[in-house]
Amino acid sequence: MAYRVLITDDSPAMRSFVRRVIELSGFELSACFEAGDGAQALEVLKNEWVDAILTDINMPGVDGEELLRRLAADELLRGIPAIVISTDATQNRIERLLALGARGYVTKPFRPEALRAELERTLGVPCD
Amino acid sequence: MTETTIRAALAGAVADVLESMFFREAPAEIREVTPEEDTVTIHLKSDGDPPGCFRMSLAQAAANAIAADFLGEDAESITVQESTDVTLELGNMICGAVLSRIESSATFRLGAPRVLTDEIEEAAAGESMRYTVETGSGPMTVAIQMETRTCPQTEKYAY
Repeated sequence: MAYRVLITDDSPAMRSFVRRVIELSGFELSACFEAGDGAQALEVLKNEWVDAILTDINMPGVDGEELLRRLAADELLRGIPAIVISTDATQNRIERLLALGARGYVTKPFRPEALRAELERTLGVPCD
Repeated sequence: MTETTIRAALAGAVADVLESMFFREAPAEIREVTPEEDTVTIHLKSDGDPPGCFRMSLAQAAANAIAADFLGEDAESITVQESTDVTLELGNMICGAVLSRIESSATFRLGAPRVLTDEIEEAAAGESMRYTVETGSGPMTVAIQMETRTCPQTEKYAY
């Protein structure tokens, strides 16, 4: 089965990297959308359904925390699993973001297989 | 926090980031660095306990080669903008990895990394703990200073 994902990060290089490592890891994508911040992500979600959202936290404008709040507040969007990708590996931050509604958390740096594993766990995909 | 702790955090973070995200082997530390003419330096500030400044300098050739590894492209095809974007992201990840190692029970917030172009500003950054490695395309030095007084102000939350 192939999945539709949305990558939200203010760094074009990071968005490109995340997309590449998802593909390299063997996780099948049928569509991959990109957004530079939370506001752009919400715009994409007005027109496109996705199976998962991968989001950075520290972004200008609508940051990752606010994106999680807005997703949780939206009846149609709250069911989409969001996975945070962040350099911040402190336990306080991870717990805070999970409490805001994130379903997964990947700390940068990460290996491609770690990102795939978190996507599969979050989406309930059976392991190979 | 001891000098040894910070040094080990710098070394571990550099190796971890380059291996995981840039598909490179852990680089060897070098003690004596020959100054490179074409170097890019970035800076970022962190709020935490304690707050601090992080700097990273690397040869432009090394920045281009590392950007190529990150983006899966040839070094010759990397644009200045791509090289800069990846260098800023590299600094962001190394700084985050260092702070996660030395402030794992606290919450920190990273400022926006930015390229330093002013020599006076670079000199004003003051003394800090440094760690230098040979990337294979030129040296890379990371440095952290765990205090705020000499840090230039930076925009927050932008990376």
